Amino acid sequence: MSIATGKAGTSELYMGNEAIARGALEAGVGFAAAYPGTPSSEVIATLAEVAKEGEIYAEWSVNEKVAMEVAAAASFAGVRAIVAMKQNGINVASDFLMNLNLTGTRAGLVLAACDDPSALSSTNEQDSRPFAKWADLPLLEPGTFQEAKDMTRWAFEISEEIRNACMLRTVTRVSHARGDVELGELIPPSKEARFTATSPVDFTPYPVPFKHHQMIAKLEKARELFESSPFNRYVGPERPELLVVTSGACWLYSLEAVKALRAGDRVGILKLGTTWPLPEKFVQKHLARTERVLVVEEVAPFLEGNLKELVGGHLADAGQLTFYGKRSGHIPDSGELNPDLVAKALGSVLDLEVEGVSPEYVQKAQQLTGSHTHMRAIGFCAGCPHRASFWSIKNALKLDGRGGFVTGDIGCYTMALGPTGYFQVKTVQAMGSGVGLACGFGNLARTGFEQPVVSVCGDSTFFHAAIPALLNGIYNHSNFTLMILDNSATAMTGFQPHPGIGKTATGETTPAVDIEALCRAMGVRVEVTDPFDLEGTTEKLLELLRDDGGVRVLISKRTCGLVRARQGEPDYRVHIDPEKCRGDACGCARLCTRVFQCPGLIWDAETDRAKIDEVICSGCGVCADVCPAGAIINEAI
Amino acid sequence: MSAELKGPQQLQGEVIDKHLCALCGACVGVCPYLVSHQGRIVVMDECNLSEGRCYAVCPRTSVDFDELNRVVFGVPRPEGELGLVREVLMARAGEGAARKKGQYGGTVSALMSFALREGLIDSAVLTSSDEALLPSGSAVRDEAGVLDCAGSNFVAAPTLAEFNREAVTDAQRIGVVATSCQVLALAKMRTSTLEKRDQIDKLALVVGLFCTWSLRYEDFVGFLREKTDLAEITKVDIPPPPAEVFEVYSNSSCVKLPLAEVRRFIRSTCDLCTDMTAELADLSVGSAEGVPGWNTLIVRSETGAELVKKAVADGAIETAPLPEENLEHLKGAALNKRKRALRNIIDKSGSSEDLLYLKLSEEALERLLA
Repeated sequence: MSIATGKAGTSELYMGNEAIARGALEAGVGFAAAYPGTPSSEVIATLAEVAKEGEIYAEWSVNEKVAMEVAAAASFAGVRAIVAMKQNGINVASDFLMNLNLTGTRAGLVLAACDDPSALSSTNEQDSRPFAKWADLPLLEPGTFQEAKDMTRWAFEISEEIRNACMLRTVTRVSHARGDVELGELIPPSKEARFTATSPVDFTPYPVPFKHHQMIAKLEKARELFESSPFNRYVGPERPELLVVTSGACWLYSLEAVKALRAGDRVGILKLGTTWPLPEKFVQKHLARTERVLVVEEVAPFLEGNLKELVGGHLADAGQLTFYGKRSGHIPDSGELNPDLVAKALGSVLDLEVEGVSPEYVQKAQQLTGSHTHMRAIGFCAGCPHRASFWSIKNALKLDGRGGFVTGDIGCYTMALGPTGYFQVKTVQAMGSGVGLACGFGNLARTGFEQPVVSVCGDSTFFHAAIPALLNGIYNHSNFTLMILDNSATAMTGFQPHPGIGKTATGETTPAVDIEALCRAMGVRVEVTDPFDLEGTTEKLLELLRDDGGVRVLISKRTCGLVRARQGEPDYRVHIDPEKCRGDACGCARLCTRVFQCPGLIWDAETDRAKIDEVICSGCGVCADVCPAGAIINEAI
Repeated sequence: MSAELKGPQQLQGEVIDKHLCALCGACVGVCPYLVSHQGRIVVMDECNLSEGRCYAVCPRTSVDFDELNRVVFGVPRPEGELGLVREVLMARAGEGAARKKGQYGGTVSALMSFALREGLIDSAVLTSSDEALLPSGSAVRDEAGVLDCAGSNFVAAPTLAEFNREAVTDAQRIGVVATSCQVLALAKMRTSTLEKRDQIDKLALVVGLFCTWSLRYEDFVGFLREKTDLAEITKVDIPPPPAEVFEVYSNSSCVKLPLAEVRRFIRSTCDLCTDMTAELADLSVGSAEGVPGWNTLIVRSETGAELVKKAVADGAIETAPLPEENLEHLKGAALNKRKRALRNIIDKSGSSEDLLYLKLSEEALERLLA
């Protein structure tokens, strides 16, 4: 059942991001945009799925800044809009955001920021919440799936009431876990979109000091609304020994930890759903209950800092208050929290014996999960074109012999910093940054730099952020080879289409932007290769490396292995001739399983020979060209 | 053979990274890890074996000439400058194409063509260069193929990679024309326990080339490219002293480059090589200084003697006695190279107790250093 068909009053099992999408529909959202990024992608993906029946518009934007801009346009025209992004995306969108906040909005505009504590799928574990404070925008933090939906709906109302964007921040454990959500009524989106400026500066930040002043007044209005919000509440004794102040998923960890320690009569929990601006009166009232405060939060000491700031502003009224949290070392300064870590912090403050999870429990849990999943190192899938590309990159750089290296960024190909990409990627920062770094390295010749530089980026990343850097390299006579690993998918975040695919978020056909033609139009040498042709790709890259001077582009084009697997039959049935396989002997030493490392190849310790794992093997046949003994045989299907 | 058995990682550490690699090609072509590219041996991936054929056959890991002589000739290396010698002659190709195309007397081309024609070998592994002067091994099966490979450009060539490739074809009796380091590697291949017997046993004839040094491909060709059009080059030569020039011939001209400039591109490993006359070959051939159009021919093994005898009877080659002063000159040059190399080795290792790859008795060392 789709999120657009669930009836009001019924209860459905929703992923946090689906709950946000439903909340948007219940608020009458008419416009949704995002660039995919874990753990945020399902918000817009879910809305795109129901775009037709919900009569809304949804798009995958080329990057987060553009997503924010298109959504703001809808708001300006009186249509409620939602834009979703992961924490890194906020950085991309921030340039626009820091002007939009001064400009203000019309119809409700909600920015769903999904953070990734512990960086399970990210290059950083940045906290998005300080952005709300920085941009003077209201911030909501749902802790449950129900809240995810209800707060989203409310965020539109707040946005419309104060006429500025409202931020909703979740973390992976809210966005990606599932729980029961009681549904409300769906509201159809406005059909009266129209852009009308009431003054020449209406949709501008001008005059800046005036709009700045206005922006702060809007934030004050939000603070007043927050004072009575049901999403802020206190549960615990009248005079707790210790007051836990928390928000979002950490609220649930705190509840569990207090329960596990049977400390409910000593500890109170102040759960905040509106974390910027703080509802000061409400918070002060509860701080007055106690002399000790433990702030439980992930990533940045955001709440902790704001609480201290609040107390510092009212020193005359404040009693004796001791704060515990990240600054005191009771809460870890990095990584995700869990009930155990919170219990440890509570135990330390309250001087309680804390029993962690018993080793037997851990063992039992591992046994249960281990029986269903196979332990495997993180790496490229069987049939992944990136493995083949990096095999050739490695070989070309080795043969070239001048100490060449690869600058990269975030995408599936980031995994090439590990063994399945032969440790080739040496730099990883923001999307497209590998190309920018290559521009810089490629202009160090005057300072004695002689190493060849190869920059890699995926097709979706190319559109997102690599084009300006490529232009910069061309314009400034930099010297590097850009290898675009075009697997025709935004694979890492779940195969969302992008400008090069020819399909929109809602499945409509659209002209596909031709990466090769685009690069050629910029005036650079462009070569195209099939990564599965290992020898040809190595030779082409080697030749491009030698073609010193200027920027060269090599497009390594082959559809993502998972997409191919969904599309139909594999190319080959692959098997190994055990007679020919040299195994551990001198002359091979397990090149395929030890170095090439496709998960479709396994080492059979019984026979001392390599073997194909027929369940995993995608039948791409690349390993046959890697085997030095011709023992891997591709049978055409 | 008591050579230490070590692995590819030690090969890289002790030889490749220390620029001792002679680029003989012995380690190339039998595994995916070591390849030859543009005049370099490249380690493509890390091989984790603790004992490897690559280390065992390398002419810059543990070389004991006494032991190798025992394996190849059945006796330890005799005293003297030239190693085991049956006879030293002058030789040249009989009337025919080889005399015209060969570097000096055409003896090597004539011998290999004859050996192929007579079925003494069914494949000859030689060295040829491409348009960019990059030399590589070339397996040929007939006289035309031999003549295509005639001549040398003094650039180090991984010829033995071709032997490794040829040894797994239908060829049964393979002859190889090899420089000193390559002859050394072939001798080590005969002794290595890691070698596949059915492959190395195909080695039927080794014709060694006198060698004093070879050049680093990329640097040298880069230099040459500045002086002349590579595609036009028909032959290069170093005429005997005191000319001190490196001659580059094209169809229309001959560019004479100062030899000192070319010497800058000598592989550093050549300075550590003690073997000028390819002592472990069946036959060794070089120029006969002062006698234009003739080669010096050292007959060492029974196989070599047989081949020379038949080739002379056939008229494929002609021989003549080598003038005494030429022999003395050859011996002096060979001894000088040995002594010079030994001093260089000690300089590099920092101790006369560490001769890097060379195993030498204390007495022999003392004699040579005296």
